[in-house]
Amino acid sequence: MTPQQGAEVEPGADAQAADGNVLEREVPVTPDTAPWLRLDARVIWVDVAQSLLSLTPAAVATWVVGVDPTWGAMWPFVLVAVLGVIGAARDALRWAFTRYRVTDEHVERRTGIVVRRYRSVRRDRIRSIDVTARLRHRLAGLRVVLIGAGQQFSAGESALSLDALHRDDAAALRRTLLSGEAAPPGARTAPPTRTAGSEGPTGFAGPADRSTEQVIARFRPSWVVYNVVGVWSVVAAAGLLWGAYWLVAMFGLDPGTWIQRNLSPGEVGWPVTIGMTLGAVLAVGTVARAAGYFSTHWRFELARVPGDDSTQLRTRQGLLTTREVNRDERRIRGAHVSEPVLWRWLGVADTEVITTGLSIWSGSTSILPRGPLPVARRVVGEVLEMSPGPFSRRLAPHPPAALRRRLWWATVVGAAVTGTSGWLASNGAVPVTALWWGAASWVVALASAVVAYRALGHTIVGDHLVVRSGLMSRATTVLRRDAVSTIALRESILQRRLGLRTVSAMTAAGWGVYEAPDVAVEESLAFALEAAPGLLEPFLEPHDPPQDASADRPTPQ
Amino acid sequence: MPNLRSPVHRVDPRAVRWWTLRGLCSAGLVLVVLLLVAWLWEPARGWLVAPIVLVAAWTAARALVEPRWRYAVHRWETTDEAVYGLTGWVVREWRVAPLSRVQTVDAVRGPLEQLLGLATLRVTTASSSGAINIVGLDKDVAEQVAERLTLVVEQVPGDAT
Repeated sequence: MTPQQGAEVEPGADAQAADGNVLEREVPVTPDTAPWLRLDARVIWVDVAQSLLSLTPAAVATWVVGVDPTWGAMWPFVLVAVLGVIGAARDALRWAFTRYRVTDEHVERRTGIVVRRYRSVRRDRIRSIDVTARLRHRLAGLRVVLIGAGQQFSAGESALSLDALHRDDAAALRRTLLSGEAAPPGARTAPPTRTAGSEGPTGFAGPADRSTEQVIARFRPSWVVYNVVGVWSVVAAAGLLWGAYWLVAMFGLDPGTWIQRNLSPGEVGWPVTIGMTLGAVLAVGTVARAAGYFSTHWRFELARVPGDDSTQLRTRQGLLTTREVNRDERRIRGAHVSEPVLWRWLGVADTEVITTGLSIWSGSTSILPRGPLPVARRVVGEVLEMSPGPFSRRLAPHPPAALRRRLWWATVVGAAVTGTSGWLASNGAVPVTALWWGAASWVVALASAVVAYRALGHTIVGDHLVVRSGLMSRATTVLRRDAVSTIALRESILQRRLGLRTVSAMTAAGWGVYEAPDVAVEESLAFALEAAPGLLEPFLEPHDPPQDASADRPTPQ
Repeated sequence: MPNLRSPVHRVDPRAVRWWTLRGLCSAGLVLVVLLLVAWLWEPARGWLVAPIVLVAAWTAARALVEPRWRYAVHRWETTDEAVYGLTGWVVREWRVAPLSRVQTVDAVRGPLEQLLGLATLRVTTASSSGAINIVGLDKDVAEQVAERLTLVVEQVPGDAT
């Protein structure tokens, strides 16, 4: 589509300024009398505590365990201590040089020691307020506030972060920014609602309007099953075991000999070795992932919270590090349920909302922990307030030609692998048995083709379009039809021969484009017409001519 | 079921020359580099035969086939409600964006286009992948269309998301 990119002159190349949501410059621009505020002073205490804490391993190693205080034995502890102290000192400096304020129109922040940076976010462009706290913040009663303004300012970064505020200030700031009311004259000069125990039983800030909120989903301990399966368990276990080995060796023990004696194949035989290793890796991995699930999603709750002029979709979760995300429901355009291929028999599903203004990398789009598919479907239905639910209609399958296309791809992959291994074998680089790899890859690819074909589907449910595709992760997308900003029909030469077209619906939210690949030609237009109502109608042929001229192969003139 | 009709206007005939030049500047450049390497570095010649043949074929396709094919395919149209473009050669694409969702309309001119008196009409929407580029327009036509569309777009309220 953009063949000439890179060769052109961009008028007004300042995308940031054209966007206008977030501005970064060296001096403030808005003349305003609102007072500049400091971050909470407890940040300093946290820094001091962190410095002391980073010195403890060295102290423990020297005085408790009695490691020789030589450079060779002590360097990891020294490294930890130095990094910890430097980090804390930097953080304290950052605190000393950071000011923020909320005016009627902007949220502004000045920061930087050598290079002063000023950043402002227009309040009417604020799309999410993320309140998180690590363990150290929670112990000190602090909260980190991340303000998202729907810009691609820098991948995965919030428009503006305030690290950290007192939990009540954070709650007050969140309420102010989300309700759109005029800025209070300094959030903290007004007597704060700093009552003892205001944090509530969940340990979260701002237990406001609890009476009217509607809880859609809650933490289920049993979902741990869905979160421990997967290859990442093995990776986590490998990392943990390696770390444990290193740590034990650090304190002067020698796990190598123990393994040699109890686990080596020469001593106990191969089956025991393999069994023990696999068992240990799986057990450690499972426990690690289960711990991760509980600590990340502890007391998870997804709720619809009424605000002043719109409702918010709020998630709260976390055991040690808590995280609360508020998403403006006016900006939600749809939802996305993906099912990893290897665990589809178990019904594992990840659920995300498709919304404008939230980076898909920020993690704020996920509204449910990995869990059972039926729950994901119910939650999507309730979040989008669809009745009947988006998954109530059977998706229209795609024509067999789509399967043929995938089988051809599989064959090409198989042939390429066979050809490469054959060439390598003829050069003597790999043994001749490598040719079997080609055969095996062909079989796997054919099976994948069938799986990918069976994943295809599309339909229209009420005001939403539903498309499903994907091999490794079967993704079902539910998108509001009035959110479709561009519609495209695409057809390669091979697709034309097979009578297929890909329908793409572009939108400002989420990934930006959602596709129904390989729909039958005659169905593709009908689907596109329905997916973007009123958009394509003016460009239809007025009558039904026997043969269409536009879809024919172009004849060069 | 009625069919989608083609957009009304063809692009400027000078676009054929532009596509040819573009093909020569991209694929042709790779070919030149490969030939230079083969000429200067003897031991590599045996390995470079296959890449050179492939790139030469690709260059020929880009310079001879692609421009004429594209000229036969490419069409565009704007109404008061939407922008409609048909582009591509091996992969063809029909793309429609409603003006109510358009954020910017620009007539963009790269160096090669300036040389030939051409311009690209670029219509962007809030979607990162929803832009419509109509390449190979006469520069005056592109500017007029951009001006007209900008007027229409300005009258639509909302932030177009």
